[in-house]
Amino acid sequence: MSIFPILWRNVKWRYHNAFTIVITILQPMLWLLLYSAVAGQSMKGVGIENYTAFILPGLIVLVCFSACCSGGIMNYLMKADGSFFRVLIAPVQRSSIVIGQILEAVLCTFIEVVIMFVVSLFFSVKIASGFMGLVLIVFLIFMTAFFISGLAYAISLSLPNEVVYETVMSAIILPVFFLSTALFPVDTLTGGLKIAVNLNPFTHVINALRALILDGNIAQSDIIFVIILLAVLCCISFSWALHSLKKEMNL
Amino acid sequence: MDAIYVENLVKKYQNGMQALNGVSLTVKEGEIFSLLGENGAGKSTLINILTTYLRPTSGTISVFGKDIHNEAAVIRSGIACVAQRTSIDTHLSLTENMMFQSKLYKIPKTEAKDRMEILISCFGLERYLKYPVSSYSGGVKRRLDIALNMMSNPKILFLDEPTVGMDVQSRMAMWEMMKKIRSDFGTTIFLTTHYLEEAESLSDTICIMKDGKEVLQGTPHTLRQYLQQNILKITFADKGAAKIGLKQIAKFFSGRKVVLHEEHLSVCCENSQVDLKQAGHLLFEQNIAFMGIEILQPSLEDVFIRLTSRGVS
Repeated sequence: MSIFPILWRNVKWRYHNAFTIVITILQPMLWLLLYSAVAGQSMKGVGIENYTAFILPGLIVLVCFSACCSGGIMNYLMKADGSFFRVLIAPVQRSSIVIGQILEAVLCTFIEVVIMFVVSLFFSVKIASGFMGLVLIVFLIFMTAFFISGLAYAISLSLPNEVVYETVMSAIILPVFFLSTALFPVDTLTGGLKIAVNLNPFTHVINALRALILDGNIAQSDIIFVIILLAVLCCISFSWALHSLKKEMNL
Repeated sequence: MDAIYVENLVKKYQNGMQALNGVSLTVKEGEIFSLLGENGAGKSTLINILTTYLRPTSGTISVFGKDIHNEAAVIRSGIACVAQRTSIDTHLSLTENMMFQSKLYKIPKTEAKDRMEILISCFGLERYLKYPVSSYSGGVKRRLDIALNMMSNPKILFLDEPTVGMDVQSRMAMWEMMKKIRSDFGTTIFLTTHYLEEAESLSDTICIMKDGKEVLQGTPHTLRQYLQQNILKITFADKGAAKIGLKQIAKFFSGRKVVLHEEHLSVCCENSQVDLKQAGHLLFEQNIAFMGIEILQPSLEDVFIRLTSRGVS
């Protein structure tokens, strides 16, 4: 399996550029520490007792975006001054290259999510669904990160340089984040906005994570729906990334 | 068996640009093969196709008898390519870069370690082991790039303009390295270059490309003979003597191109041996003093300029 050498190379890059972990976790952490403290007071009025626990699932998705997007930047650096070309002419399956790249971003996401969870413990956040809930949370985060990093890798292979890439990713992340239930419950919305929020796949991921963290129980059908949704999205993003990589060699 | 066989290779990029226009060439096993051509002649496109990076539009290509269309994965395990831009990961150490390459080619760890030690010693990289790769000079990075590409013990090593931008000493060292790779490891070397002296001093076979097509392929000696137009050089003691000689020689060889260069004359030959004899006889007969007379073969540069100049087909 050539996945592991690629993964190892990318992990070494992350270790060498450890500040990227700090940079990508900075914004979600500020949301967790500052926004939850400020907005928490007013949210008590709408029945949300622990607003930090409420926004944690949304911030986990935000962390997924931040960490996975930096994987795309890494791709540009490897292309400009690294082993990108050498790997492509080596006897390595193209799918292994994509998976190796994706898994590093997933690994980085987990490191950052663990940090977020540890910090949120100080705000009395507990996982109400217990060990099984934790396993489900890990699985959902894995799939979400897998989907986003596949997407980021495909986009980085399709766009000409890192400046354009950064601009496009920023244009994607913010609307996706705000048009979801990351910061507020969907019940308060009406009309077109509600439809848009419900069409956002991350709304369902956030709702599932929130149910596992806050409520302790979740309808089986809801969790199966989210898993199937993420599985389909993972397949799409992986296929797109693989196609984009193959296209690199079909100029 | 031929190491590389290419017949009627065409590459048209999706943007419509045609980079290769029916190239045919053969590379023998164990030789150093140089591809010469101007910028835009299609050298890098050809190397990218032969290394399986780019797909050809049409044509037949086989590497050690394996068809590049159907057996690219097999071919990849037997080749390596040092691209124009060094492809070293600067976040990895020298040994990590080399071991990463061995992992890509699935070389057992102990074998890879042994090979790495040989290559580090062979390429004189021992004293750089303790320094970060990002601090290496361009020349050392290039050496490391070649060394790590040799980790998989490739049957064919492609080098795309390996000495470009190097000073004279580094270039000479690189030439020695290439000769060593061929002699010590038996690797077939396929290189592209702009430097004619490099191609002449290193290569067993040279192929000159123009406008996406090969113009001529052969040994350096054969290529020089291609022009089949030797030059008779007559050297005089000074400019005045050369001018006197010019009158007589131009008169004798009327209809031929006779050129005066400072204190020597050059005469285009039809039959160099006969022309040499006649010119010598004339000079002695007319009692014209001269310092020497010799037959010059055209240089590789003459051949290259002649073949790649506009309007020549």
